[in-house]
Amino acid sequence: MRDSSDMGESKVLSAVTLAGVAKFFGTFKAIEGIDLTIRQNEFFTLLGPSGCGKTTILRMLAGFETPSSGEILLDGRDISRLGPNQRPVNTVFQNYALFPHLSVAQNIGFALKMLGRPRPEIRDTVEDMLALVQLSGRGDQLVTQLSGGQQQRVALARALAPRPKVLLLDEPLSALDQKLRKTMQIELKRMQRETGITFVFVTHDQEEALTMSDRIAVLSNGALRQVGSPHEIYNHPVDRFVADFIGETNLLTGKVIRQDGDCAHVVLPGGVTIEAQCPHAVSAGSEVTLAVRPEHCTLAGPEAPLSGFIEQVVYFGTDTHFHLRLPGGAPLVLRRQNAADGRALPQQGETVGVALAPSATRVLRD
Amino acid sequence: MRKGFDTRSLPGFGIMALLCFAALYLPIAVLVVFAFNAGDSIAVMQGLSLRWFVAAAQNEQVIDASIRSLQVAVAAAGLATFVATLAAVATTRTHRYRGRDAKIMLFTVPLMVPEIVTAVALLILVSKLKVWTGYTGLGYLILSHAAFCVPFAYMPIRARLSGMDTTLEAAAADLYASRWQAFAHVTLPLLLPGIIAGFMLGFVISLDDVVITEFVKSAGQDTLPTYMLGQLRRNITPEINAISTAFLMLSIVLIVLFYLLSNRKKT
Ligand SMILES: Nc1ncnc2c1ncn2[C@@H]1O[C@H](COP(=O)(O)OP(=O)(O)O)[C@@H](O)[C@H]1O
Ligand SMILES: [Mg+2]
Repeated sequence: MRDSSDMGESKVLSAVTLAGVAKFFGTFKAIEGIDLTIRQNEFFTLLGPSGCGKTTILRMLAGFETPSSGEILLDGRDISRLGPNQRPVNTVFQNYALFPHLSVAQNIGFALKMLGRPRPEIRDTVEDMLALVQLSGRGDQLVTQLSGGQQQRVALARALAPRPKVLLLDEPLSALDQKLRKTMQIELKRMQRETGITFVFVTHDQEEALTMSDRIAVLSNGALRQVGSPHEIYNHPVDRFVADFIGETNLLTGKVIRQDGDCAHVVLPGGVTIEAQCPHAVSAGSEVTLAVRPEHCTLAGPEAPLSGFIEQVVYFGTDTHFHLRLPGGAPLVLRRQNAADGRALPQQGETVGVALAPSATRVLRD
Repeated sequence: MRKGFDTRSLPGFGIMALLCFAALYLPIAVLVVFAFNAGDSIAVMQGLSLRWFVAAAQNEQVIDASIRSLQVAVAAAGLATFVATLAAVATTRTHRYRGRDAKIMLFTVPLMVPEIVTAVALLILVSKLKVWTGYTGLGYLILSHAAFCVPFAYMPIRARLSGMDTTLEAAAADLYASRWQAFAHVTLPLLLPGIIAGFMLGFVISLDDVVITEFVKSAGQDTLPTYMLGQLRRNITPEINAISTAFLMLSIVLIVLFYLLSNRKKT
């Protein structure tokens, strides 16, 4: 539950602060005591497997659920007991929830109308929003006449029109096909930059989280595992869950021989000793888990101390994956970028030397 | 359905279907044809004429009864629809609680109570009320019809509401609508086809009601159906056919209107 990216930084402007927020459904603990600061003007992502509590957190931010304990602060004010219509936070719903009896323009202008804004202001804002989501000239159409991607844009425009302090997006791209999703990922980033509104984005897709976010919070079973930039989360996962959930990772077990500052010497089951990053203290003789990404493993000459038996070779176009078996029996995936020269690669059944980059091999906390 | 099985290939199926349709529509067709009879008989056709329509339109009693029927039907259906809408919102826009299903049942069970039972019960109540209050106007008829129509109006409204996505109302609240605004700007417009269906159902049921009207009405409060029933006991002329035919036209117009409305909203 540590917020590593906040360490050593000067105080940043916070948009939303969750202080000890917990949520029970009956006796079931959906969210346990979360402390989290979402900064102003950032693209913040809640990432975790299905059922980990992402939607519940979003619903508490929107006002559809009340925390069982703890506070939610917006610009320093406790909003956790306010209704959804009383807080400057808007939602893009997963199924869009557009009003089918209203036109595109009426949907986008809905919030301003409810707030009693004058007609000319509503008209101008709707025009601006239509331009922002690239639907200019479509204002008079019925929302039911639009494609899924266009409905998504209307849902975005509708939620952005009243200029909320925070925009909440619950897996907004999951219903779109692959190509449209890529386009919308870029579009969403652009809209966030242009409007300067804090986005809180929910997804279970780690790749989507890595490409879009300024910062990511990784959740599992209602608890916060790690908060940090995509770079920190990917390269410095704090525990086994995060390492395993974000990207592909090889997890190896070994026994610590000794520790020199941030570097631990670990002996693998096959008897080979390797070096790994270890910022936290470990005692000699303890069993630890090591994490190393497939792209940080390289093929080495036969003189390398660590060797692997090639069980399978999978060609991917840009790179090739080697599924290896290490001497102690542990599996290891190695990724090698394909060269243009078409040099002959090692084949299935061969035994090759393997090197693990010491700077990219990490000892995980349990 | 199993492939290769077609009801139309069953022997005798076509004849059965024909007989069913004949039983449904032949009497109505005969009724309509004799409305245009130039003679006095409802059994022997003596040439075509509109004289019975003219006669009905000039008959004071028919005009009186028609106006009364429409007044009662509009008022009763309106009242029933209002009550049914509130009841439907109250039973669908809430979390499940003990007794909710029982309440829903209380609204729909009267559909299965024989109408004559309701009529007798209303007769006893209304006759007492007439004595106590001294009021003998159309109000009793309107209230009685409304009470009878509530479950009919309730069904299409509730069906529409429970089929409606509640995230739309959540979205309205998220976009700064108060509860009342969310209801007025989102729930009600989307519910309108159900409300219209409920009103029309109530309207038609009130319009052709005989049993409750016979029991509840005061002297001189004939509606069109009870007036016609009274006429049948005396001499029968094609005037009855003409009135019925006009009635039929009105229901056809209503059905077509309802069909168009409900189809337009479905897209
Ligand atoms: N209204 C509710 N009543 C009971 N349990 C709920 C309710 N909403 C969510 N849950 C439970 O809380 C957990 C988290 O759900 P959710 O926040 O929807 O997860 P996610 O969005 O990450 O998939 C799940 O186990 C879910 O079953
Ligand atoms: Mg969810």
